[in-house]
Amino acid sequence: MRGDVLHAVSTWWRSLALGLAAVAVCMSGAFAQGTSLAEKIQTCGVCHGEDGNSKMENIPSLAGQPEFFVLNQLFLMREGVRKVDAMAPLVKDLEDADLDGLAKHYNKLAPKPSGEPIDPALVKRGAEVAAQKRCGSCHLPTLAGQEQMPRLAKQRIDYLIFTLKSYRDTPRAGADTAMSAAVAGLPDSDLIALAHYAASL
Amino acid sequence: MTTCRSIRRSLLLAGTFAGVFAWSAAAQAPPPGFSALDKSNPAASKQDTNLKPHPTPPIATAQDKLPLDKIKLPAGFKAEVWSTGHPGARTMVLGDKGTLFMGTRLIGRVYAIINKDGKREAKVLLQGLTQPNGLAFKDGALYVFAINKVYRYDNIEDKLDNPPQPVELTEKYNLPDTIHHNWKYVAFGPDGKMYVQVGANCNICEINPGIHGQIRRYDADGSNMEIVARGVRNTVGFDWHPQTKELWFTDNGRDWAGNEGPSDELNRIAKGQEGANYGFPYCHANGVADPDVKKPNPCAGVTMPAALTGPHAGTLGIKFYTGDMFPASYKNVAFIARRGSWNREKKFGYDVAIARTAANGSAKIEPFMTGLLDEGKNEFYGRPTYVLPMPDGSLLVSDEQNGATYRISYDTPATASVQQKGKGRVR
Repeated sequence: MRGDVLHAVSTWWRSLALGLAAVAVCMSGAFAQGTSLAEKIQTCGVCHGEDGNSKMENIPSLAGQPEFFVLNQLFLMREGVRKVDAMAPLVKDLEDADLDGLAKHYNKLAPKPSGEPIDPALVKRGAEVAAQKRCGSCHLPTLAGQEQMPRLAKQRIDYLIFTLKSYRDTPRAGADTAMSAAVAGLPDSDLIALAHYAASL
Repeated sequence: MTTCRSIRRSLLLAGTFAGVFAWSAAAQAPPPGFSALDKSNPAASKQDTNLKPHPTPPIATAQDKLPLDKIKLPAGFKAEVWSTGHPGARTMVLGDKGTLFMGTRLIGRVYAIINKDGKREAKVLLQGLTQPNGLAFKDGALYVFAINKVYRYDNIEDKLDNPPQPVELTEKYNLPDTIHHNWKYVAFGPDGKMYVQVGANCNICEINPGIHGQIRRYDADGSNMEIVARGVRNTVGFDWHPQTKELWFTDNGRDWAGNEGPSDELNRIAKGQEGANYGFPYCHANGVADPDVKKPNPCAGVTMPAALTGPHAGTLGIKFYTGDMFPASYKNVAFIARRGSWNREKKFGYDVAIARTAANGSAKIEPFMTGLLDEGKNEFYGRPTYVLPMPDGSLLVSDEQNGATYRISYDTPATASVQQKGKGRVR
């Protein structure tokens, strides 16, 4: 029960943080139609970090993500297939050329560690789970990602835990089925270990 | 700025939602039907473990960049671009008034392709669905099967600009809500029943045979379910032989058991054999025992395929040809789209083959539309997913990779020179 309450609180904070960020973006008016790519990148940077490395809790880093991955996810969110409430208003008016420009931009940036504390014991356990689940088969052994598969190396730990849990607990629309199958039945402790391992690379 | 208003509104609601979300996410069990028991064993299969599915671009290839010049066909046949600009192109069904409806997978769209002012146009009819690959058309209504959602859009061709609220049939069909291998293929049979695929919920595992690995049939409203085939790993294409009215279906072989297979299959449900067992997960292809999920006599009582359609070929759409445009030797021949392999070091497929079927239930596979795979470079240029014979006797082929369809037509040598003048016209 205690876990549920904690979860509720953290989920609420997450919604609030994303909501406030979206309001901040709105107030800045940066997504009025006809803004340049540079202005759009600035808007994204409010949450995802100016250099694409997020300093904000539960917000993923985009630096060094595969170009196709960024393009594909922006497309799926624009279409309403992948539903992320905080992103929906930001992506709905993007043109295909914007998706392409943003994807190219974030692909070129260098990924950096988020600064969250990394637990070596969890890294060790995470490496074992990753080997067992063959994460490297799609995400590459370095977890740098490729094509439609995201970079996991140096990603934020809190975001990875959130995402892995949502793959396990609620089949994620817009994603292929491989991820839901890969994490089916894993306990929370293994998901947390995976997150620490990926962040450590 | 309605957008910003809506953000503030959802912010106010966030607290309310948080409670609901926490309750639903509290359960630790995997989503129902997802198999945590997948027995895939890539180490034992000795394949390159970095093999992975090829991504489908969410943006269509520009018309002048389409790989039309790569396509090779038997003498007398030609391919032209029929429609473009609809990324994720897969299933195709024709409405009574000539609308081509097209289903997709990951991008969640259903298109309506129409002729407007002499130009072909792909409209996004529906979007935001979960893998709406299953489409069927009957009595003016479009049936859309997404994962665990079944909708019927009545009189749809009169309402393409503003599709009506659908009649929801999800509960009536009562299909499993698992994602894996559960994007649908559906079609109405000659008996007026709706035939529906329910794939295995894993690459390779023990499935619940009462739920997964089947072809079912229902009355159109989702009542009176019957299982017509069992032990089917994942069929996403079937059609009925024009003369025997027997159901023929393609089936995709498992991954991570070697580069050479087990092969995809072309199967037949012989008259009186409804409910037959096609072997999954114990017995594959023409009698190959599974290396990971074992039982004694794995192939006992298993109906063997009519033909093998190749290792990891991605054998999808199948349609029998009854038109008059192609030579007589193509009458009642099945055209089969092979999307192409991912779990194979040397790529295979990426073509359209034909199956010449015999009354005894055997079939012979021959190449038909090739050239989209460069075997030397191990690269592909397009991925044929479904085929559709058109009323004029031509054949449409959808290309998921490029978001286009090609029209294949045939000119007899005597008329070829006359027809040349009409080249490039919009049909």
